Amino acid sequence: MTKTLISLAAIAMLLFSISVVAQEDIAPLNADTAMADAMSVQAAKSESRERFRSLDQDVQTLKKEVLDLNRDLFLLEEELLFPANSQVAFFVSMDVGEYFELDSINIKIDGKEVANYLYTARETDALIRGGVHRVHMANLKTGDHELIAVFTGKGPHVRDYRRGATLNFEKGIGAKYLELEITDRVKKQQPEFVIKEWE
Amino acid sequence: MPSGRLLLRCLYLLLALQAATQAVQAAADGRDPIVVKDPHYGEVLFYFYQEDYFPAIVRLLAARENQQLDDHANEAELLLGGMYLSYGHHLEAADIFERLLADNVAPEIRDRTWFFLAKIWYQRGYIDKSREALSYIERELPENLQREALMLEAQILIAAGDYDAAIARLQNWKGRTEWASYAKFNLGVALVRQGRVDEAARLLDDLGNLDPYNDELTSLRDKANLALGYALLQDGQARAAKAPLQRVRLEGPFSNKALLGVGWADAEMDDYQRALVPWMELRSRNLLDSAVQESMLAIPYAMAKLESISQAADHYLNAIEAFYEEMNRLDRTIQHIESGLFFDNFVNDDPLDSAGWYWHLEELPEGLEARYLFHLLATHEFQEGLKNYRDLSYLHRNLDEWQMNVAVYGNMLETRKEAYAIRLPRVQDALARADLDDMVSRKLEFDSTLNNIEESRDWLALASRSEFDMWGEITSLERTPVLTADIPEADEVGDKISLLKGVLQWNLERDFGDRLWRIRRNVHQTGEALVATQRSRRQIDQTMRLEPLRFDELSNRVYSLAPRIEGTKMRVEDALSKQRAFLQSIAVGELQAQKQRLDIYTVQARFALAAIYDIAATVGDASQ
Repeated sequence: MTKTLISLAAIAMLLFSISVVAQEDIAPLNADTAMADAMSVQAAKSESRERFRSLDQDVQTLKKEVLDLNRDLFLLEEELLFPANSQVAFFVSMDVGEYFELDSINIKIDGKEVANYLYTARETDALIRGGVHRVHMANLKTGDHELIAVFTGKGPHVRDYRRGATLNFEKGIGAKYLELEITDRVKKQQPEFVIKEWE
Repeated sequence: MPSGRLLLRCLYLLLALQAATQAVQAAADGRDPIVVKDPHYGEVLFYFYQEDYFPAIVRLLAARENQQLDDHANEAELLLGGMYLSYGHHLEAADIFERLLADNVAPEIRDRTWFFLAKIWYQRGYIDKSREALSYIERELPENLQREALMLEAQILIAAGDYDAAIARLQNWKGRTEWASYAKFNLGVALVRQGRVDEAARLLDDLGNLDPYNDELTSLRDKANLALGYALLQDGQARAAKAPLQRVRLEGPFSNKALLGVGWADAEMDDYQRALVPWMELRSRNLLDSAVQESMLAIPYAMAKLESISQAADHYLNAIEAFYEEMNRLDRTIQHIESGLFFDNFVNDDPLDSAGWYWHLEELPEGLEARYLFHLLATHEFQEGLKNYRDLSYLHRNLDEWQMNVAVYGNMLETRKEAYAIRLPRVQDALARADLDDMVSRKLEFDSTLNNIEESRDWLALASRSEFDMWGEITSLERTPVLTADIPEADEVGDKISLLKGVLQWNLERDFGDRLWRIRRNVHQTGEALVATQRSRRQIDQTMRLEPLRFDELSNRVYSLAPRIEGTKMRVEDALSKQRAFLQSIAVGELQAQKQRLDIYTVQARFALAAIYDIAATVGDASQ
C-alpha cells in the first residue's frame, strides 16, 4: 500500500461528497477533473439524467391524462348526482373578516339540516384571501324554499359569536347558486351575514 | 426557501395583469382579497390558496369546460399555468406561459416567469430548456432573482462542461451576499477542475476566512476550506493544505474529512507521529463515514511507518473485521432496497397531499438506508425522482378512488333506469286521464258566459244558490191567484212580496260588479293554473322524450370512463415501477460504490497485513 493510493481515493471520495452536500438551491460543482475516474462519473451522471428526463416526460404525460380524466369524472359526477334542473349550490365567501373568525356553518333547507361544516384555519385563511367554498350541493324541486344558515365563530374582542341568516328563495328551472357572505360592517364594528342569490 | 413565496407573488402579479390598479395593489400585498365574479373561480382559489393544486386544477378545468369562468377567462388561464407549475406539471405550464406571455404582458412579469421556468427545468435536468428559458429574459431581474439567475446560468455552463464561460460569468460577480459566497465557491471548484489551483486557492482562501453570520455560510466556509485543503494536498502543497483544513469546525458535518486531510498533510511531510493525532480522533466516530473508514487504514499505516508493527497488525485486523461487518450491513440494505419495501414504506408514511412541486423531504425515513443514502437524498435528481414517485402514487390512489366511484355510479344509473321504467306507465296513464284540452275549452266557455252576463248585466246569473231559490219563491208567490183577490189582505201581502223582491233585486244589482270581479279573478287564476299545468305537461313530455337519451348519454360516459381509468391506472403502475427501478438503481449504485470502496480498503488492509507478517517472519528467521 502506498500513501498516494489512499490519499487519492480520499480526494476522489471527498470531492464527490462535497458537491452532493453542497447542493442547496443551486448545486455547486460535483467532480474533480484531476481524478482519473471523473469523466466516467460524469458520463454516468449524464446517462442517469437522460433516464430521469425520459421518465419525467412520461410522468408529465400521465399527469395531464389523469387531470383530464379527473375533469371528465368531476363533470360526470356533478351531472349524475345534481342534474342542472334541480341543482342548488351553496357557497361561502368572506370579505375582509376583521370582525369575525369563522369556525363552522350550519345549513337548514326547509327546516331540515343538510350541512354542518367545520372550518380549519387553512380554509378560513383561503376564504379571507378571496376563495369561495362550495359548502353544500342539493337537489331541490322547483318552487319556494327557505334557507337558514347559522354561522359560529369568534366575533369582535374574540368573543364567541353565533348568528343566523335566512333567505326565502324560489327554485326555478336550471341550476341555482346561493352565496352565504360574511362581511365587515366597519361603522358598527360588527360582522354581517348575508345570503344572496349569485347573479 | 423563499422561492415558493416568490413564485406565488409572481403569480399574484400575473393574476393582476388584466385587473384594475386596486387589484394590482392587492396582488402586491398577497393577502388582500381578489374580487371574485364567478363562484366557480372563487372555488378554484379556495383550493389554490390552500396549496391543494390537484383539486384546484381539476375544478378549473371543469369550470372552463362548462364555460363558467367567463368573467375571469384570462386570469384563469394564467392561474392554471401557475398551478401547473406548482404541481410540477412544468411542460404544460410552459405551453400556457409561452402562449400567454407572448404579447401584452409586462416585461417584468414575463422575465420573472421565464426565470422560474428555467429554475424548475434545471432542477429537473432539462438543461437545454433551462438555458433557452434564461435566454428569453430580456431585462434585468429584481436583485435577488438576478443573483440566482446568474448562478443558474453558471451552473448550466458548468453542467455543459463549459468551464471557461462559467468562470467568466462568475468572475464578474460583485455582490457581497450569500449568493456571492456560493458564486466564489463554485468558481473556486471550477478553477480546480481546470487545474488552475493557484487562482482557485485565492478565492477559496478568501471564502475560508470569512466571518459567517448564519449556519449556511458557516457550512459553506467549511466546504471551501475542505476543498482548498484537498486541492493543495493534491497539488503537492501539504504544508499549505494544513491551515485551511484546520479551519474546518471540529464538530461540523465536514470535520471527519478535515481531520483525515490534516493527517495526510502531516503524513506527506513524513510526520507520522503528528498524523496519528487527528486519525486517532476519527476512530471514535461513526464508521458509516468514509473518512472514518479510511482512517482505519491510515492509522496502522502510520504505525507501521513508526515501526510499531504489532500494533499496526492489530489495527489492520480490526479494520478488516469492521469492513466485513459494514459490507454485510450494506448487503442487507441493498437487499431491502431491491425488494422495493424502502420506497413503499416511504410513500405509505407520507400523507400524499397534492402539494406537488414544493414538497420536500423534510425528515429522513427510519432505518439504515437513510443513513447510507444521506448524501443521495440531498441531490436534485433523487429528490425530483422521489417527487415523481410520490406524485405517481397520488395519481394511483386518485384513480383507485374514481374506479370505485364509477362502479357505484354505474349501479346508480341502472337503478334509476329501472325506477324510470316502472314509473313511466303510471305517469302516462295519469296524463291520459287528465284531459287538459277539455279543461281549457271549459275555461273559455266560462269566459264567454261571463262576458254575456256582463254585457246583459244579468245580475240574477250571479246570485247564490239560496238567493236564486229565494228569487224563484218570490216570483212564484207573485203569481199566486189569491193575490189578485180584491181584499185588503191580498194587497198587503202583494206589497210585502214586491218589497222582498225589490230588496233582493237591489242587493243582487248592488253586488253585481263585486261578484263579477271575484268570479273573473277565480276564472283568471284557473286560467293561470291551466297554463302552468300545460307548461308542466310540456316539461313532462320533454323529459319523457329526453330522459332515455340522457340515460344513454350518461351510460356511455360512465362505461367509457371505466376502461379509461383502468388503462391510465395500468400506465401509472408501469410508470411507478419504472420510477422505483430508477430510484433503486441510483440508491443501489451508491451503496455498491460504498461497498466497492470497502472492498478496496479490505484488499489494501490484507495486503499490508501480509506485508507485516512477511517482515515479522523475515525478522524472526533472521533472529533464529
